[in-house]
Amino acid sequence: MSAYTALSRAGYYAYVRDKTTLFFTFAFPLLFLVVFGLIFSGKSVQQSGKPYIDYIAPGVLSWGVANAAVFGVGFVLMQWRRDDLLRLIRMTPAPLTSVLGSRYVLALAIGVVQSALFVGIALLPFFGLTLASTWPLALAVLVLGVTAFLMVGVIVGSFARTPEAVAAIANCLMIPMAFLSGSFFPLDAMPAWMQSLAHALPLYYFNDGVSAALTGSGSGADILVDCGVLAAFAVVFGAIALKTFRWSDKS
Amino acid sequence: MSSTNPEEAVVIDSVRKRYGSIQAVDGISLTIHRGEFFGLLGPNGAGKTTLIEIIEGQRKADSGTVSVLGFRPGPRNADLLPRLGVQTQASAFFVRLTAREHLETVAALYRAGREAAQRALALVGLTEQADIRVEDLSGGQRQRLAIAAALVHDPELIFLDEPTAALDPQARRSLWQVLRDLKGAGRTIVYTTHHLDEAEALCDRVAIVMNGQIRALGSPARLVAEATATTQLLVPAGRLTAEAARAIPGVLKVTEEADAIVLETSDSGPVLAAIDQIAGLHGVRTRTASLEDVYLDLTNTR
Repeated sequence: MSAYTALSRAGYYAYVRDKTTLFFTFAFPLLFLVVFGLIFSGKSVQQSGKPYIDYIAPGVLSWGVANAAVFGVGFVLMQWRRDDLLRLIRMTPAPLTSVLGSRYVLALAIGVVQSALFVGIALLPFFGLTLASTWPLALAVLVLGVTAFLMVGVIVGSFARTPEAVAAIANCLMIPMAFLSGSFFPLDAMPAWMQSLAHALPLYYFNDGVSAALTGSGSGADILVDCGVLAAFAVVFGAIALKTFRWSDKS
Repeated sequence: MSSTNPEEAVVIDSVRKRYGSIQAVDGISLTIHRGEFFGLLGPNGAGKTTLIEIIEGQRKADSGTVSVLGFRPGPRNADLLPRLGVQTQASAFFVRLTAREHLETVAALYRAGREAAQRALALVGLTEQADIRVEDLSGGQRQRLAIAAALVHDPELIFLDEPTAALDPQARRSLWQVLRDLKGAGRTIVYTTHHLDEAEALCDRVAIVMNGQIRALGSPARLVAEATATTQLLVPAGRLTAEAARAIPGVLKVTEEADAIVLETSDSGPVLAAIDQIAGLHGVRTRTASLEDVYLDLTNTR
């Protein structure tokens, strides 16, 4: 086994053997979908006349994927550092690219599986999502979105020293961001200042891109802009992550 | 690199390291030979861990030079790292893996195969626990797994940090055998412990570290011999009076303990002969100083 294969395998086992994380990663976003689906079943948004599901499905999906990326890497990084596993890895000749690469591919795979499951269920007649022909473009948005939020997770995992701190920091970031980015409610119904604030948040572009690709709410140019902004966020967060990264909790 | 004497595993010269107002390592120079079993002793906070971390390349010394197997140590020195085995805390495991899976992962990080993991498991006596999740292992088993992780890639120079701390007496003795076998196979072992009897039994040489400096360095037997030249003879209480004991030529000091009268001498032969004449030798015990006495003497903050 190469270091990359071994670390991917270790990460995969750690993931699928943890039922709580599995639930929150895959079932939790679906729960949101069901709740919002029940509340808004059959209704349309006043401003655009589109069915609610077209707003809610991409919104909950991008939030769920972003959330899983932040929490996943945040917990792992905090725990690896706390338990001295980072020191163990550091004392091996394994290239850092193998370590980072295995976590990255794992996060991407989780995001893709999450999305496939979520979209599959949203397509059921009860929810009534219909896919636009541009839906494959969502994959590009997904990759960039996961990348950006993975970097947020690295920053969270570098600051937090306990699992409680990871959960607290990540929730403080992700829950308000979800509302402010229009993941749960259409932004059209929000006050103007909130709509402009949304443009400063990475989740807005993730949401917007997924929505444009899946439901055709935007053009290909819109998706391109969303991808570009997400890539820029990824670079900025990546630079901060590199700056704040610590091998050890000891000073 | 500077010194490439193949006989020397570790050469450190005038190493200093300061944290804020604390001089953790205060000018330590030390040479550890290949194939040597070397013990670092000292109270908590004496600077042992910092010194080991500097040798391993995890910390940079403020001044002084360090050479490990002819290389300057550093965390990304890919030529050196595969030749070093470093024991981590007994919590440094990949979560939710079995003991075997964890070791296979560590082995892969060192580019070693699955059979290396199997061998390391057998070496520390965890073959039967191979398929148990790391979270479900007992404290002693976790300790042994952490040691196995340091040995999985067959390193030349092994650093162990209190490897026997959480082990029961049987497990401790079986680990002693593992360590002796490693030494027998030509490995160099640098280790810290608070068990002085263990250091005396295992180490070729020990260094006693206090306040970031080496207070004593040498083989346990030599340190004991240098520190105390006297032997204590314990005669069961009631067989010999203190006056009679003091009258024996060569007795330096007499003290009374609960169940024995203790005679201190630098020449035990003639004194034993005298005791034999007065009280008989039945039940008489001799007590020589141990490494622990030397250690307590040196580290006592009197």
